[in-house]
Amino acid sequence: MAGMKELVEDIAKALVDIPEQVSVREVQGEQVTVLELRVAPSDLGKVIGKQGRTARSIRTLLGAAGMKLNRRFTLEILE
Amino acid sequence: MSGKKYTVSHVGAQITHFLTRILKRARLRVTPEVREPEPRYTDFENPDLVVNFTGPDVGLLLENKAELLLALEHLTHEMLRMPPQDHALVVFDANDYRMLRIEELRLSALAAAEKVKATHQPFRFNPMSSRERRILHLALRNEPGVRSESAGEGPNRGVVIYPAEMPSNAPPAPPRGPSAGRRRR
Repeated sequence: MAGMKELVEDIAKALVDIPEQVSVREVQGEQVTVLELRVAPSDLGKVIGKQGRTARSIRTLLGAAGMKLNRRFTLEILE
Repeated sequence: MSGKKYTVSHVGAQITHFLTRILKRARLRVTPEVREPEPRYTDFENPDLVVNFTGPDVGLLLENKAELLLALEHLTHEMLRMPPQDHALVVFDANDYRMLRIEELRLSALAAAEKVKATHQPFRFNPMSSRERRILHLALRNEPGVRSESAGEGPNRGVVIYPAEMPSNAPPAPPRGPSAGRRRR
């Protein structure tokens, strides 16, 4: 779905120290689109945040964008 | 003359650029404006910068205790690499949400203090962010007969009001109060 992969990429690249190692894969299901985010191992903490707050903030934004597109998006952060 | 750490000229363009890009991707029709704060409620909050949003989707930002507004604020703090103790210096707002929330917290604190004085029982607020807990503590600092503390860890940390003479380990009443806590859609 246009733009959501890029949304996660843009946010992740702004947060990490090594933006070249940010990649997002989009996996389309029937109801849900899964966005798989990969970053450099040293940047994992930057995209997760203390008590998962940063990951939760990205998910909140995806939730709002999803409402507009009538589609559910979930974020998976891959190690 | 300004002792400000964060200024419009220093970080304004960076904030606007970051937000404009992700808001467009997320199809949210709101526009951010980075500005110096108006001098009001400085007892409770005294930020360097306010990022104020306008536009047709402002209501979406404020749903669920401003969940989306605060998510954008958090991502912006992280994007700027701000240390946690600086987070209160750059605050996000829309439709005067912050001012109304401060007033709501202040009134809740005073109402809860009256209750504690009348019942001699501790009162526990629902969990809140450090910034909101601070507002409750400040609202109670000159209130005689009660004292306030934060208890619990991480996302469960919340303010407890005690009768001034009661020790902290007294079992607090079950959670209740005006903050509805964190809800998921």
